[in-house]
Amino acid sequence: MSAAINALRLAWRNVLRNRRRSLVTILIATVGCTSVLVASGFALYTYDQLRDGAAREFGHITIAGRDYFTRDEETPMQYGIDDYRQLTAGLMANPLVRRVLPRVSLSGLISNGDKSVIFLGIGADIEAEAEVRGQFLKLVDGAFAAPEGALPAVLLGADLARSLNARPGTGLTLLATTTSGGINAIDVMVTGIVSTGWREVDKRLVYTPVATAQHLLMSDRISTLSVYLDSLDAVPVTHEYLSKADPVHAYKPWWEQAFYYDSVRGLYNRIFGLLGLIIGMLVFFSVANTLAMAVVERTREIGTLRALGALPGEIVAQFLREGALIGAIGAVLGTLLAGIVVLALPHAGMEMPPPPGRSVGYPLLVNASLPLYLLTNAAIIALCATAAWFVSRKAAKKPIVEALAHV
Amino acid sequence: MTAPAIALSGIVKHYRMGDEDIPALRGIDLAVPSGTFAAVRGPSGSGKSTLLNICGLIDAPDAGRYLLAGEDVGGLDEDARTMIRRRSIGFVFQSYNLVPVMSVRDNVEYPLLLLGLPAGERRGRVDEILDQVGLAGLADRRPDQLSGGQRQRVAIARALVKSPTLVIADEPTANLDTATAAQVIDLMKALGHRHGATFLIATHDDRMTAHCDSVHAITDGSLQ
Repeated sequence: MSAAINALRLAWRNVLRNRRRSLVTILIATVGCTSVLVASGFALYTYDQLRDGAAREFGHITIAGRDYFTRDEETPMQYGIDDYRQLTAGLMANPLVRRVLPRVSLSGLISNGDKSVIFLGIGADIEAEAEVRGQFLKLVDGAFAAPEGALPAVLLGADLARSLNARPGTGLTLLATTTSGGINAIDVMVTGIVSTGWREVDKRLVYTPVATAQHLLMSDRISTLSVYLDSLDAVPVTHEYLSKADPVHAYKPWWEQAFYYDSVRGLYNRIFGLLGLIIGMLVFFSVANTLAMAVVERTREIGTLRALGALPGEIVAQFLREGALIGAIGAVLGTLLAGIVVLALPHAGMEMPPPPGRSVGYPLLVNASLPLYLLTNAAIIALCATAAWFVSRKAAKKPIVEALAHV
Repeated sequence: MTAPAIALSGIVKHYRMGDEDIPALRGIDLAVPSGTFAAVRGPSGSGKSTLLNICGLIDAPDAGRYLLAGEDVGGLDEDARTMIRRRSIGFVFQSYNLVPVMSVRDNVEYPLLLLGLPAGERRGRVDEILDQVGLAGLADRRPDQLSGGQRQRVAIARALVKSPTLVIADEPTANLDTATAAQVIDLMKALGHRHGATFLIATHDDRMTAHCDSVHAITDGSLQ
């Protein structure tokens, strides 16, 4: 039998010496590994959702006038895009581009005749947006599609509708500053009440068709074009290509606008990083405690092996193998347990409560990631091996006569 | 002429107890010819274990000269002493000191693993020595499945399996009944001659000293 297998077999037998103690230590390593994998998997799921959400919201690439992203507009649409249809046609010729959607940003006052409040509006093709982004708005009342009628149709945020006592069919007036600096007002009719899930947004939100927004602002321009590609992976190369090919406009990838994604990622990285550190310390001290007891109990045996010619490093290596074995068993069991959690959660239908500022929760799901699993397993094994090294190095160097006299 | 297995001259050793220096060995001169059985006897605290520890290179003298098979080993550092122990010195302890999680075979094989011998050679040597100590059929047992005499036979096999120059045996029969002790003494004697090893034995046992080529009495750290 090879020396390596012999050494592993010896480590296994030593782990089994005090089965109850080893079992508790392995359980701690298992729970630690599962906790790290589940918590990190939840963070990864959240990142994925936020990334996809941000990319869907802004478009994979946003196109605007040259100074749109760097300077404040003095008048609406100052840095808007002229003749966006020609630009759209050019973009659609690119095989990686799936859809191009125009958007107009506007703000002003919305009034029901008795009360006027500030609104933040988006002029967009709601049906096309829904095709690309999925169900990004929750319809609270009414309909998305505008009925044929004399008045332009708008969708109102739920809280804004409540504030104006508006419901589907209610006539309202939008008032805004035009591109020339004057004031324009148009009458509109509410076709639907919607919710984005963000209370602060729902208090001010007005969706209008692009033409209605342009009519209010008295402009043919649009604010931005949102470009949707076949996949997120294609964004960097397409962004670089389009930026170089068109110096007239500014091209911004989704991640440069995804401030909420960035801040949540930063926060979660810190929270889960700290959690991982605490779990790591718990595993480390637990294994160190178990092996410290084993080292004390085996002091005489260490003296015997040293007398037979084992170097201190070889004694430490033996404990290191035992620690690594405990870690490996714990890591494998922890990974299996985490896998069960990953598979079971979608069937459990558990929901996370709404985050601050939101009115809807989201499903509690956990992602599985091979690099994460490999890294966590390696970290648990390394932690346990380090704990073994930490507690055995001193005993391995103890004078042999003292070690042999240990009772 | 063959150099003596052990040649000590002026070996001094003190132990520190609080502020006090306790002399354990006071200038020991000793020569043990190669291939012989030498006994050291004396009352508890006389320094015989200290003398064996120094001869077995698991302790270092404060002063004096130690030649092991002609090689000066007095000034070596711990790692160098370890390598000499690994290669040339076997130990038989009073309480056997077998590793409980290892089988008989694994315990006996351990010194050969340290020497880095290939698996085939290890197996051959272990089979041979287990046969010589009469434990060929018990190779897969654990120490706790053996009697005291059998355990000491395993310890003797472990000490001799690497064909060492020197075997240090500290009270090897102290925990054995009369009949078993006699068998162990006979075994040590027979195998010692077969392997050409020199035995240095600390003992109170008259039966043991009767089999030794030389007996050295030690009292208060001095040989008589």
